[in-house]
Amino acid sequence: MPAIEISDLTKEFRVPEKNPGLWNAAKSLLRRRFRAIPAVTGLNFSIQEGELVGFLGANGAGKTTTLKMLSGLLHPSSGTANVLGYTPWQRRTAFQKQFSLVMGHRTQLWWELPAQETFRLNQEIYEIPDAQYRATVEELVELLELRDCMSIPVKKLSLGQRMKAELAVSILHRPKLLLLDEPTLGLDVVMQKKIRQFILEYNRRYRATILLTSHNMDDVVELCPRVILIDHGRLLYDGSLRQVVERYAPHKVIRADFNEAVSPVELARIGRIAQYQGTRAVLEVPRGEVSPRAADLLTHFPVADLTIEETPIQEVVRRLFTQAPSKAAPRG
Amino acid sequence: MSKYLYVYTLSLQNVLQRRASLLMDRVGGIATLLALYFFWSSIFKDSATVAGYPKAQMLTYVLMMSLLRSLVFTGRGWEVVGEISSGRLSNYLIRPIRYLGYCLSLDLAQKTVHCAAAVFEISILILVLGAPFHIPQSPQTWVLFPIIATFSTLLFFLLEFLVASLAFWTSESGGPLFCFDLLVQFLAGAFFPLDVLPRALQAALYMTPFPYLVFFPIDVYLERAPTEMALKVLATQGAWLVVVGMAAATVWRRGLRNYAAEGG
Ligand SMILES: Nc1ncnc2c1ncn2[C@@H]1O[C@H](COP(=O)(O)OP(=O)(O)O)[C@@H](O)[C@H]1O
Ligand SMILES: [Mg+2]
Repeated sequence: MPAIEISDLTKEFRVPEKNPGLWNAAKSLLRRRFRAIPAVTGLNFSIQEGELVGFLGANGAGKTTTLKMLSGLLHPSSGTANVLGYTPWQRRTAFQKQFSLVMGHRTQLWWELPAQETFRLNQEIYEIPDAQYRATVEELVELLELRDCMSIPVKKLSLGQRMKAELAVSILHRPKLLLLDEPTLGLDVVMQKKIRQFILEYNRRYRATILLTSHNMDDVVELCPRVILIDHGRLLYDGSLRQVVERYAPHKVIRADFNEAVSPVELARIGRIAQYQGTRAVLEVPRGEVSPRAADLLTHFPVADLTIEETPIQEVVRRLFTQAPSKAAPRG
Repeated sequence: MSKYLYVYTLSLQNVLQRRASLLMDRVGGIATLLALYFFWSSIFKDSATVAGYPKAQMLTYVLMMSLLRSLVFTGRGWEVVGEISSGRLSNYLIRPIRYLGYCLSLDLAQKTVHCAAAVFEISILILVLGAPFHIPQSPQTWVLFPIIATFSTLLFFLLEFLVASLAFWTSESGGPLFCFDLLVQFLAGAFFPLDVLPRALQAALYMTPFPYLVFFPIDVYLERAPTEMALKVLATQGAWLVVVGMAAATVWRRGLRNYAAEGG
């Protein structure tokens, strides 16, 4: 049985029309007009137990809305979902004890109290036996290097520390399904890496099913063998990451600042020039050759600063639209 | 059950930790209490009874009012409105805990601290100002009053929860609760006993749940009416609890269907 199976899942938000002006505001007091915003449209996919899937899309594509339906926060406008054998929006206790939803910029930690208090609270809420609780906390504190953060009021933690505590408190009850919404949002590169490692570790150790949204390709390239890409609420691609990367993101992006203006002609040997402004350039370099070319750049050009990035999701989406043979490629 | 107990203890910690805000609340309460106390004292300079209340009863009404204010009128309404409209409600909806029970646990913690403070303040007033204070004589009152006070507490909690739930629909969310807060203490008799009002107004008010929040409970405490009256108060409170409870449950269920889980 798949861990998640959704068919024709659709969500439209009804929002009151807001027209500018006092007169229109007065009119809307008497009769409100609603406008339907389609957030998710006819989405179909299924995810097997133990899979780690990247759920990708530009901002506003409908990722969060989908996760909210999968966790039972939102009733869909139409369509069905089966998550761990339950209909999520019925909010059965047995279902709620088996999953967790973590949102990057939401907190369930009690702001004024040390994180350990929320940990204890979750022990009570999820009715975790003492022995299991102690073992899990010990393991998580170790793995996420949380020891120093546990007894400080949450409001005094850094974003990265808070995010780690957030993840830890969300998996105290060892959920079989983890829904992660932008878990690396706003974190620095080192912290992003730690979070990713942890997610992978959790997936491996407990064979947990993980669905992870991101608009950051890095997250997915490191973690997810399979990706689901959506755009404007519709499925665009569901299949192996390798295929997406080979076809639509064969390059990495080197962003470089120089101490003095460099010649574009010479730069062209490093990679395709996507942007050029004299002392600043963005270059596309084939994935396999990033290291030698970056080394070349560093030794032969007056580099002040350099970063290597994944192709932005928006770019992948654009290419999928313009190049894909069929919009929803078969899984593979 | 133990999860709600734990929420209660956590919340107790939280209330005690926010000493400044606790202190402000208490100072506000004491100011109201003193104002009412001296107002009624000065009125009793010229006459032995006012609107059928001898001095000791009226001053007891004021002092008991102060205690019930801490017990009955500390709600979670604004927090509920905030959590609905900001989408923080989502935190509870995805976990195996009942939001109503969670709120009640938080509220009981507030009530515990505030009631302890109120008892302390009232004792000081009685000792320092030599305020006359009515102590119930009949054992029935000692049995019935605590039950009635508990029912009042639950009734206010549910009423406020019901009004706060309207935030699922009103985009300027606080409106209904603001009106409720403005009127409820007046209608409940938190500033003066309701039987000083004209008869027609009284009769109309008695058709609503509000007088059952504090006016009738204090009436029972003062033993102004026979025991049957106390039983009638209790029964009416029970009926209102059922009605308001069912209304709150229905509104909440419908609201959740409307909930947009904003944010995140
Ligand atoms: N509560 C809401 N009310 C109205 N529109 C919403 C609401 N939540 C999301 N939307 C809209 O639905 C679309 C999808 O949003 P979302 O699922 O948050 O996207 P993503 O998480 O992929 O960035 C967006 O156009 C957004 O503006
Ligand atoms: Mg989102």
